[in-house]
Amino acid sequence: MMNPTIELTGLEVQLGGRTILHGLTGVLKSRAIGLLGPNGAGKSTLINTLLGFHSPSKGSARVLGLDSFTNGKALRSLVGYMPENDAFISKMSGVRFVRYMAEISGLPPAQAMERAHEAFVYVGLGEARYRPVGTYSLGMKQLAKFAQAIAHGPKVLILDEPTNGMDPPARKRLIELIREIREASDICLLLSSHLLRDVEETCDEVLILRNGQIASVCNLVEERRANRKFLELETIGAEATFTSTLEGLGCECAVFTNGRIKVVMPDSVEIREVFRVAADIGVQIRRMNHRRDSLEDIFLNAMEQTGAADGRI
Amino acid sequence: MAVYKRRYNPYTGSLTPEWSRFFVLTRYAFADLFKARFFVVLLVLSLVPILFFASYIFIANNKTAQLLMQLRSAGLFSVENQYFIVIMMVQTQAAFLLNCWVGPALIAGDLTNGALPLFLSRPFTRADYVLGKLAVLGLLLSAVTWVPCLLLFSLQAGLATDGWIWSHLWMVVPIVLCSAIWILMLSLISLAVSAWVKLRIVATGVIFISFFIPAGLGEMFNAIMSTRWGILLNFSYMFRLILAKGFRERSGLLGSFGWDEIPVAAAWAVLILVCLLSLVILNARLRARETVRG
Repeated sequence: MMNPTIELTGLEVQLGGRTILHGLTGVLKSRAIGLLGPNGAGKSTLINTLLGFHSPSKGSARVLGLDSFTNGKALRSLVGYMPENDAFISKMSGVRFVRYMAEISGLPPAQAMERAHEAFVYVGLGEARYRPVGTYSLGMKQLAKFAQAIAHGPKVLILDEPTNGMDPPARKRLIELIREIREASDICLLLSSHLLRDVEETCDEVLILRNGQIASVCNLVEERRANRKFLELETIGAEATFTSTLEGLGCECAVFTNGRIKVVMPDSVEIREVFRVAADIGVQIRRMNHRRDSLEDIFLNAMEQTGAADGRI
Repeated sequence: MAVYKRRYNPYTGSLTPEWSRFFVLTRYAFADLFKARFFVVLLVLSLVPILFFASYIFIANNKTAQLLMQLRSAGLFSVENQYFIVIMMVQTQAAFLLNCWVGPALIAGDLTNGALPLFLSRPFTRADYVLGKLAVLGLLLSAVTWVPCLLLFSLQAGLATDGWIWSHLWMVVPIVLCSAIWILMLSLISLAVSAWVKLRIVATGVIFISFFIPAGLGEMFNAIMSTRWGILLNFSYMFRLILAKGFRERSGLLGSFGWDEIPVAAAWAVLILVCLLSLVILNARLRARETVRG
């Protein structure tokens, strides 16, 4: 049986005398996990704990079945990490910097050199690879950090705010790369970002933190699947006949004023059936929306929840 | 992930043994060092005295050379323990200067732009990191202290007659041990300073200060308290004391202090304490993430 990607058991982390993470408990099984939360929610602390940089004061955190503290070295041999802040050696050329990091991960020098060149070209910095990293723009530094995170072929990729400081085309390119890597290999992804869109485009499951506690967990795959079956219609014509016919097909309908209808379709019914019924009855469908409970809604709902969460999923 | 394919492929090749990875740091640091012309000049200069010492040993053991140079006094050339003390004193000072140039940049370069989390997010511990950096100074300073000193010892052993080697073999131990403690102390002090101070010039200044200020304070302590124990804060003197005891040399080297005035164990303890203090500083500074208390 495959180990869950992340397993938290009453994880409590104290830093500088303050409790940052309050007994987080839960299992995240998806291959691509997004980490969301406002500033100070504990996202970076959770990532640092998973990397073994902080020791839990209570409980434990496991990644792919390996305890982040007691099996830290074994776990880190699987990880590629892209930190949020500046992390580079300014006088080194980009390709030498990535080669250096790959060698520390255990790649022999020749293979490290080869992978460093490949990683640099892959992230789109091929032309700049011989320049010192200190001369790179902010976006290029982000890409260099990304290159060093993937060069040694990790099994778990941990990205902390990967698109910080990038212009829209560069951001789009990086998100495409992340998706491509996710699809081309069996790599597990943990992505922390303030940009909900980044998480939405790359992740299958989202863990939302608030004040060091788990505010919500959302499986985006299931959410997307459910949303595909939820329609909002604006119609003109015989609404009552239309809704009763749809209900006859197994749909659930709610009728509002001005011809607005909300329809929840069963899996067996396709959208073309709705159009066919409307055509048969002579109802005009003036507008049709898939209801999209976006990640933003989920995030805002999680943030608006009152009362202390108990830290459990 | 071949360059022309522009596609990501996981790495499936072999890996180097974990124990050997600290040496990657050493290798890269040496590659960077040898790019700097100043360093190469400094290294060559620090090895120049060895040529003179070797020439001296050659002449001391070659009657023909002595005759050709019209040197008649047989006692003028003597290669005994005092001679090796002189070699050690000169070479350890050269090691100090090399250390002042190389040491300050070793860790500061990684800390300036926050590269430390990148090292520590790999199967690489803080101990590996310190070991890798320590090996740079260890190898470099060894190359100018005990290694050439042992080569000179071998040269003398090869040229001398009358079983010189057997009567002087004990000197191998002080050559290695005294160099080792000096190298260890210098390396750890400069790594600790490098982890603390990011600017090379300031860090070099701090290394000098860490030798001279405590010595001055020790002298003040001696004057105020009418004691001689303040000398324990003079690390160079402590090294000289260990050197003198190691080479069984009673004359000159200890200045105004008597042979048994400060026990050699106290000198060892002071130098080891300095090493431990440097390790404490390194332990405090080399963190993947800093924790702000409050």
